[in-house]
Amino acid sequence: MEYGPPPLFNQGVSARARLAFFSFLATLLIVIDARVNALDTIRVGVGVMLYPLQRALLWPRDAIVRASRYAATVASLTNENEQLRRDSVERAALLLKDEELKAENERLRRLQSVRERANVKTQLVQVLYEPRDRFSHKLVIDRGSSDGVRAGNPVVDDRGVVGQVTRVFPFVSEVTVLTERDQSIPAQIVRNGLRCVAFGGAEAGTLELRFLAANADVASGDVVVTSGLDGLYPPGIPVGTVARVERDVKDQFARVIVTPAGNINANGMLVVMQLTAPPLPPPPREDAATERPARRSPRR
Amino acid sequence: MKLWRLRRANGEPATATPPTVSRAAPKQVLRPVSPVFIWATLAGGLALDLLPWGRTPLVPDFLALALVFWNIHQPRRVGMGASFLFGLLIDVHDGALFGEHALAYTLLSYGAIALHRRILWFPVLSQSLYVLPLLLVAQLVSAAVRLWVGGASADWWVGLIQSGIGALLWPVVTWVLFAPQRRPISRDETRPL
Repeated sequence: MEYGPPPLFNQGVSARARLAFFSFLATLLIVIDARVNALDTIRVGVGVMLYPLQRALLWPRDAIVRASRYAATVASLTNENEQLRRDSVERAALLLKDEELKAENERLRRLQSVRERANVKTQLVQVLYEPRDRFSHKLVIDRGSSDGVRAGNPVVDDRGVVGQVTRVFPFVSEVTVLTERDQSIPAQIVRNGLRCVAFGGAEAGTLELRFLAANADVASGDVVVTSGLDGLYPPGIPVGTVARVERDVKDQFARVIVTPAGNINANGMLVVMQLTAPPLPPPPREDAATERPARRSPRR
Repeated sequence: MKLWRLRRANGEPATATPPTVSRAAPKQVLRPVSPVFIWATLAGGLALDLLPWGRTPLVPDFLALALVFWNIHQPRRVGMGASFLFGLLIDVHDGALFGEHALAYTLLSYGAIALHRRILWFPVLSQSLYVLPLLLVAQLVSAAVRLWVGGASADWWVGLIQSGIGALLWPVVTWVLFAPQRRPISRDETRPL
């Protein structure tokens, strides 16, 4: 402000002081949130407060969707029904075979005394909305910590991995899709069992297998599935197919671009998976700090 | 401007909005604003932002527009604190960094409050030329914060277009948010004003 008020009329703290205060506070929050992740309780509190409003505002869209579905013609519904029935019969055959294979697998594993595979608990969820944020691609689903969803749970659709739960509120959770730059999935190539890690690609909507040697045995068309090495993703879920491989003499690593198998722009039903018994051994205890004084004490 | 300084020096209490007679509607005295209406419209802006727009481009930030409007017209009722808190709500809804929109809206508010005396001397269409840079600054701050933290986006320029559309909507926003204050006090057709 170019001219302040006369001292007779108190207008409170000056605009510049307020600006300094609030922008400092906001910057502090940003830094804490970006580096320490210590603000999740506040965020969850605000999220719970906002939840009724969010749900109420989804209603208009849902009403439109319902109305348009109601107006669908009989012909298209009959077609869809038939298609679904055909699919289910096809899958029934696969499922029967699956049961048999599972039993056989278990028998073989017991014979070889290999640890059994972890059980996977699944939960059907609905995508509520896609946040408007242009800097990250996320989906918000309608189940949260009160339904047993945990941060880190993989989210899949009928074709493959879609992403991973990255933040959990009591009634909703945020899923970061697998093509995000910071996401990574331990994967392997089905054809030869080559292990790799799939990261979100530089191009939007693609994945990249990083740190594969320039002469690694990868070709376009290879199917990439999860390897399950991290104890979060169950093994064998489709991640994508290799779209192209760029080998440059100058580079140590091949550049492998993968198109995701799951539909990352999904707007319907997804499945949250949860390994009930993580197959990983427990992390090593950090008892170095507790041991040292114990060793010293007898000397005294 | 000089007139106002004079009247203040004379000891008249400084009112919330100096020019109750704006250039856009030069022959009308506005009715006093109702605080309920202010907060209802801000909540309405928030609700419009919370609608599931998804990745639809070209949808302006309605809450930012409402905040700019009230910061310009009622800077003593809606200040930076309100902007900050609304920003936090948007941050949680968008899953953005906590404080990102809070910072953007705080700067937006400061800009609006710092310019409010000047802006009110212009007709509504010219006012949108002042509103455009304010909205742009908010978008750029948001983008800068993300870049600083290490984010990247291929379509960051969509934010600039959104600001442009927001500025184009300014006359509409002004008309809607001023409507209750422009109501005639009585329905008398032969009023002198």
